[in-house]
Amino acid sequence: MALVNLTGVTPGTWDVIDTDSAPREGAAVAVPLARLADEDETFFKAVGSVGAIVPTDAAYTDLAPLANKLAFVVIDFPAFGDGRGFSLAVRLRKDLGFKGEIRATGPVIPDQALFLKRAGFDTIDVADDREAAFKAALERFGAFYQTDFVGQLSVAHLRHSKTDSSDKDADGERKAS
Amino acid sequence: MYAYDKYDHAITNARVAEFRDQVERRVKGELTEEEFRPLRLMNGLYLQLHAYMLRVAIPYGTLSANQMRRLAHIARKYDKGYGHFTTRQNIQYNWPKLSETPDILQELAEVEMHAIQTSGNCIRNTTTDQFAGATADEVADPRPYAELIRQWSTFHPEFSFLPRKFKIAITGAALDRAAVKWHDIGLILKKNDAGEIGFEVLVGGGMGRTPVIGKTINEFVHERDLLSYLEAILRVYNEQGRRDNKYKARIKILAEDLGAEEYARQTNEEWARIKDQPLDVPAEEAARIKSFFRAPPLPVLPDDVPAVDELEKKNFLFKAWVKNNTNPHKVPGHVNLTISLKPHGGIPGDATAEQMDLVAALADEYSQSEIRVSHEQNLILPHVAKKDLPAIWADLDEVGLGTANVGLLTDIIACPGLDYCSLANARSIPLAQAITERFDDIKRLQDIGPLKIKISGCINSCGHHHAGHIGILGVDRKGEENYQLLLGGSGAEDASKAAILGPGFDEHGIIDAVEKVVAVYLGEREDGEEFLAAYRRLGPAVFKEAVYGAR
Repeated sequence: MALVNLTGVTPGTWDVIDTDSAPREGAAVAVPLARLADEDETFFKAVGSVGAIVPTDAAYTDLAPLANKLAFVVIDFPAFGDGRGFSLAVRLRKDLGFKGEIRATGPVIPDQALFLKRAGFDTIDVADDREAAFKAALERFGAFYQTDFVGQLSVAHLRHSKTDSSDKDADGERKAS
Repeated sequence: MYAYDKYDHAITNARVAEFRDQVERRVKGELTEEEFRPLRLMNGLYLQLHAYMLRVAIPYGTLSANQMRRLAHIARKYDKGYGHFTTRQNIQYNWPKLSETPDILQELAEVEMHAIQTSGNCIRNTTTDQFAGATADEVADPRPYAELIRQWSTFHPEFSFLPRKFKIAITGAALDRAAVKWHDIGLILKKNDAGEIGFEVLVGGGMGRTPVIGKTINEFVHERDLLSYLEAILRVYNEQGRRDNKYKARIKILAEDLGAEEYARQTNEEWARIKDQPLDVPAEEAARIKSFFRAPPLPVLPDDVPAVDELEKKNFLFKAWVKNNTNPHKVPGHVNLTISLKPHGGIPGDATAEQMDLVAALADEYSQSEIRVSHEQNLILPHVAKKDLPAIWADLDEVGLGTANVGLLTDIIACPGLDYCSLANARSIPLAQAITERFDDIKRLQDIGPLKIKISGCINSCGHHHAGHIGILGVDRKGEENYQLLLGGSGAEDASKAAILGPGFDEHGIIDAVEKVVAVYLGEREDGEEFLAAYRRLGPAVFKEAVYGAR
């Protein structure tokens, strides 16, 4: 697997542990959300840092009590068309104020790279042979019709903003910040 | 009309480049059909029974004469010389070669068109009143809002992978010509007591196998809040809409499960959180978009035009055409002229390249270079001076576009059906052709009056049979095409669901049944009573007796 970095975040590394295995002491661990909900403070104290592995059918409200204890969140797509993963990322950024890394795993496709970035994801786990396609897709569009929750203003705003120099290249190239 | 700026061009051109790359990878075999499928479906490219089909967006059904000429050119160069206008005010080409589709998109981009939002589980092309901005009976022109929604919903980072496709319609007029109550979201332009513009918002309408009429969740959303409010509705749907069963994935099912009140509550709760974010456009942008839709400077002309009166006396078909195919314009002496794409015996919604070119030329000469497509699959010249009607009629009639049947029984909506579509159970087009041949008599059609027949070749309801005064649904019955008869639907402001009258028929039987239904109506109607009103007064029993009594 390769890791596509969308935002320039320093990507984390972690152990993935399942529903009943014990974490290494002091390690960074990614834990299924269902298990985390049952763990008490001793678990969080025993490990170095904790991230949640979140299925797309989770409600963001289930994440709310945990958000300030998590260092990172992995949203696991069962299929590329399961758009709930995008709303989960948006909710984490917008409503839960989550600042840590959000990673996408599962069969997402290169053409979703910009959507993922704009929904609030930082990184994507991709098959090695798809890394180039993901990176190319990130460069495809330079202007966006929506304001998102990670700092991109819509072209509707840029059209009337003082910082938009209309003598810029006619192709309107503008990289997301 | 809206004109692209550098941003719009950049986004559309980037899309063409992306699609060209995807097609090249597919043609070279780097992508399997399975991998390519979701990509082509984001560009309006379907694989049908016999070939690829490319659906091109005509945002809110408005296009210029130049754009229409480009559509004609594409039909000629890349297809078999014709195109099919759809119930979403779009156009479909039925025979493009895969390898040429990027060139088609490039040719479209040159005239500020694209195939975005014509397929896939995204927010589709927003539809509206075909007479928008030109009709006397509207609160405000809905097109600027449709353009706002077009931009906001194009490649939305969060709502491009919804549980299912998502359709929005807007009307600005009291008479609903956009079937807004049958849409996932219906928007009705309104003014509040302070004279401000906003929208009544309906959610959860839809056809398919579970027909539902949308319910109001907010009586008045101010125009400045439109996009953030839509975003709140969509977020609730994206999170909670069912994904386990595609037949239960539309918002109508979620809205029914939650109830309209709960849907409204959740929407309002989410909207309260986001309404102060810069999701809605700045006032300058709203004004910029509105400026593209200023009413053209038409002169006030006399409503009485002696030349028209004289030709009407001499030519019954012209008289019928003026009566049936024109609607009032907000400027005296003008009309909205509907060009029927429903010639008797023809294919509903089809137009040849030559016909498209002629319509473009007429638009340049007589209608401010503007053309509309209606969801009823006709073309409209929206700004025609009455005095020009005789000249336009002569030109249209010469190429088979003079049929005087708008709003009448033969102005049939039909899906492509089993002639093209891989989902269909039965043919729709030949049935529409046979019905229009059976009723090929304008005088009789006028006597019957307004009557909407809508034909779907399967339960997906692309032919809107649930909303037909007479609806026909093609089903597969033990390997045979079978047609069910439904009565009493409406897609207008008085929206209602059509009800199945009884057992289905074969192709000949369904035509006879339609004839009997019409006969009952003619026999039972009161003075001036239209078909739908008569059906609602009479109920199904008398129709059932006439259609099935002897069986």
